[in-house]
Amino acid sequence: MQNTIVLAPEIIFHIGPLPITNTLFTSWIVMIVLIILSKLSTKNMSLIPNGLLRNIFELTIEGFYDLTESLAHSRAAMFFPFLMTFFLYIVIGNWLGLFPGFSTIGFFNDVGGHMDFIPLLRSMNTDLNMTLALALISAFLTHFFSIRYLGIKGYLAHWFNLNPLFMFVGILEIISEVTKVISLSFRLFGNIFAGEVVMSTISTLAAFFVPLPFYFLEILAGVIQAAVFMILTMVFMVLLTEKHIGEEESR
Amino acid sequence: MEIIKNFGIQPILLLAQLVNFTILLIILQKFLYKPMLKVLNERKNKIADSLKNADEIEKRLKSMDAERDKRLNDAIHEAKEIVEEAAQNASDIIRQSQQKAAADVQIMTDRAEKLLELEREKLHKEIREEIGNMVILGIEKVINKTLSTEDRKKLADEAVTGLK
Repeated sequence: MQNTIVLAPEIIFHIGPLPITNTLFTSWIVMIVLIILSKLSTKNMSLIPNGLLRNIFELTIEGFYDLTESLAHSRAAMFFPFLMTFFLYIVIGNWLGLFPGFSTIGFFNDVGGHMDFIPLLRSMNTDLNMTLALALISAFLTHFFSIRYLGIKGYLAHWFNLNPLFMFVGILEIISEVTKVISLSFRLFGNIFAGEVVMSTISTLAAFFVPLPFYFLEILAGVIQAAVFMILTMVFMVLLTEKHIGEEESR
Repeated sequence: MEIIKNFGIQPILLLAQLVNFTILLIILQKFLYKPMLKVLNERKNKIADSLKNADEIEKRLKSMDAERDKRLNDAIHEAKEIVEEAAQNASDIIRQSQQKAAADVQIMTDRAEKLLELEREKLHKEIREEIGNMVILGIEKVINKTLSTEDRKKLADEAVTGLK
């Protein structure tokens, strides 16, 4: 088996105009897994904690809710579902990509004389489409909340100002909004993709035992990247929905 | 844009991911976050209530302990008083009865003495009369004649007074 580094996701089949890539296919599996887990963990809800799965979810949800509340205060209840979904979606996606079968089970496609290996399953976040979409959703939500909490006037005042100095700052802010999306998407993509490449490389060098430490590293990286994505989104949301001191004085 | 082609960016895939995320968000919100946060909140409230209750119970227990101690002390005190009073009463009664008994004995001895005195006087009188009679009889034997009743009386009286 040859290991070629392919940035773009491989298309496994088409549904109408929608090309079903292996990462999109994986993302559906991730969704199904998450939905099943959430149903299982809330099967019999009672005040007394019961079940390992439920405890894990409770721990995660309570921890992140407290974190959100400590930063966003009254807006926590509004932000939380989005942030938590980012986290769970990304972390389960990352971890699922570590399971055996990913990037290894697939089929060969005859492309102009030579065979291309097309894996059926590929870790969700090794596709920039997925991470870019998440980053765009994050940016869109951030701006949506900003308008919601500051009003359209307050939102625009954040970017455009007649004061030349603040006008310059505003332009920088607009650029930074673009870089936010790029950094969010490429950070996640880069980390997970690099992890995948490292593991496939190590596996070709020595298949037994040697890749194990890298698997542990990837488990860690998976949860860290998910947490980073979520916390950065949270911080951006909090920053953009906070009323500015200068603005309050002028009112 | 070479980079977009290299990374295989396709708007339709972005859209697909957006749909995925939205579906996941709605389902998780309904099945995971809402029930779980509700339960977490309820549990937090319940724990806070329980802690508050526990504090109250402890306080009440403490006050109950104090009350009990106080009552116990009171009861002990009262019991001691009662015992002391009873002892006092008992000794009073004993003393009184002793005094009464002593007085009774005194009265009875007095009466007995008086009776004895009377008896003795009666005896004396009888003896004197007897002796007078005997003297008269003797004298009559000696002088060999019967005395008149006057003489008799006179002699008897003399004898008696002489005896006295």
